[in-house]
Amino acid sequence: MICESCQENEATVHITTGSGLNKTERYLCEVCANKSFSNQFANFPDDSFNIHQLLQSLSAQQPAGAGMKQKRHCDTCGSTIENILKNGKFGCADCYGTFSGKSNEIITRVQLYQTEHVGKVPAKSSAYLKVKKEIESLREKLAELVERQEFEEAAVVRDQIKSLEAGDGNGEG
Amino acid sequence: MAKVSPWITAAEEKPVEMSSRIRLARNVRDIPFPHMLKGGEMDEVTARLKTVLSGFGEVDLNVMKFEDKALLVEKHLISPLFTKRGQLSYISGDESVSIMVNEEDHIRIQVMGADESLDELYERASELDDKLEAEINYAFDDKYGFLTACPTNVGTGLRASVMLHLPGLSLGSRIQRIASNLNRFGFTLRGIYGEGSVPLGHIYQLSNQLTLGRTEEDIISSLNELKMRIMEEENEMRSIMNDDHLLKAKDSIYRSYGTLKYAHTISLKEAANHLSNVKLGMDLNLLPENTIRFQEQIQLIQPAFIKMRLNTMEKEYGSLERAVDEERATLLRELIGGTS
Ligand SMILES: [Zn+2]
Ligand SMILES: [Zn+2]
Repeated sequence: MICESCQENEATVHITTGSGLNKTERYLCEVCANKSFSNQFANFPDDSFNIHQLLQSLSAQQPAGAGMKQKRHCDTCGSTIENILKNGKFGCADCYGTFSGKSNEIITRVQLYQTEHVGKVPAKSSAYLKVKKEIESLREKLAELVERQEFEEAAVVRDQIKSLEAGDGNGEG
Repeated sequence: MAKVSPWITAAEEKPVEMSSRIRLARNVRDIPFPHMLKGGEMDEVTARLKTVLSGFGEVDLNVMKFEDKALLVEKHLISPLFTKRGQLSYISGDESVSIMVNEEDHIRIQVMGADESLDELYERASELDDKLEAEINYAFDDKYGFLTACPTNVGTGLRASVMLHLPGLSLGSRIQRIASNLNRFGFTLRGIYGEGSVPLGHIYQLSNQLTLGRTEEDIISSLNELKMRIMEEENEMRSIMNDDHLLKAKDSIYRSYGTLKYAHTISLKEAANHLSNVKLGMDLNLLPENTIRFQEQIQLIQPAFIKMRLNTMEKEYGSLERAVDEERATLLRELIGGTS
C-alpha cells in the first residue's frame, strides 16, 4: 500500500484516531507518520495567551488620538498597524514607538490597564537609554542655538553630542 | 532509551505541588522580532551567546528528527512552536535551564525546579539574564520595560508558573470557580496537558498572565500566595474524601493500581488518570510511599518517550497507535512491579 499523505513511499504505519463515528484510519509511511505526531501538540502546554480576538476588536476602531500624525509603516521592520493587529505581535522594538498611540491602546487592553514597567532595569540598557535621552535633549538645544545664531555656544554643544555618541551604548560594536 | 530530566529524577516527591518554572522573554535591540527575520540576521547574536553559554549543551533543531524534538517538548525544554520554527537551543547538564533562540522572542530563558522556590529559580534566571545582557544589547524601554514580540509579555517578560496535582478539586467542580476568580487577578489556572474539561492526570499550571506594572518579586509573591490557597482547598477536598468517602476512594485507587500493574494495552489518557489515582493513594497513605514516581512517570508515558522505546526494539508494527499503547502498558508493568 502507498502512503496516503505523500503518495510516494510504502505505507508501513497504520494510525487510528478518535473512536466510534469519529474514528479515522490512515495508512502512512514512516516519515509522514512522524509528521502526524505533531498533532499531539495541539493540546500541549504553551506560554501564549490567545489575544487575537482582543486585538481584532481594536482594529475596527480609529487609532487613538494621534490621527494623521501616526506613521503608516515602521521604518525599521516595515510593519503596518494592520499587520501587528493581525499577527498579535509587534514586528520589532521600534514598532512600539512608531505606533505609540495604538501600541499604548493595545498594551492597556492586554495588560489590564497597566502601562508602566516597574520591574527589573537591566544595567547596560538603562545606561544606554540615559545617554540616548541626553543626546536628544542636546540636539534640541543645538537647534535652538543655531536658530539664535549663537554659533560659539553651538559648537560646544555639538562637541558634547559627538563625544556622547562616540561612547554611546557602552561597548556596543 | 529516553530518560526524564535529571532535575526531576533528583527531586523529592511531594503531595500536590510538582514543579516550578520561571521564564524570561528578551529581545536584541536593532534586530526585528523572530517572525520578521530573514536568515542569518541572528548569527552574530548566537555567536555571542555561545561564549556565555559555553557550559551548556547546544541543540541544533535544524538537524533533528521530529521525534527527538517531540521528546524535548514532552520534557518541557522547548515549546511546541519551537519545533516548527526554532533553530537553536541551549540546555544545561541537569536540564533545569534551557534557552531558546528565536522562539516568539529572540531569547527565552527558562529555569525549572522541584525543590527550589520560585524566588530561587527567578534568582538563577536573573543571573543568567545579567550575563547575557553583558554580551548583548537588549531591547528595553523606559516606559514599557523589556520589549517583546507579543504585548502579553511586555514589561518584565516574566512568566512564573507552578505545576499542581489537583485531583480533589478536579473531581469536584470547584476548579472552574477558582480558575475564573484567578483570571480577575491576572492569573490563570489551566490543564497542563490539554484544554479538556478534565486535564490529563489532573495536572494544572498556575501562572501569571500580566507582565507589566508589577515587579518580578511582586508577581512571584502573589503567585505563591494563590498557590498556597489552592493547595489548602485541594487538601480540604482530600480530607473530605478521606473522612466521608473512604471506601469509594480506596476502591478507585486500588483499581487504578491494579490496572497499571496488569494492563496489556493502555491509552495515554487512561494511564495518566490511573497514575494520578495512585499518587493520590500515596498522599492519603493508602499505598506505600514509593509505589510510583508521579512526576517522572507522567512524562515517561507520553507518546515520544514511548516511541523511543519502540524504535530501539526494531519491532515490526502494523498500527503505530496500538503499538504505543501496548508498549506503554509494558513499561508501566515494569515500573510498578507487576509481571512484565
Ligand atoms: Zn508518506
Ligand atoms: Zn517595527
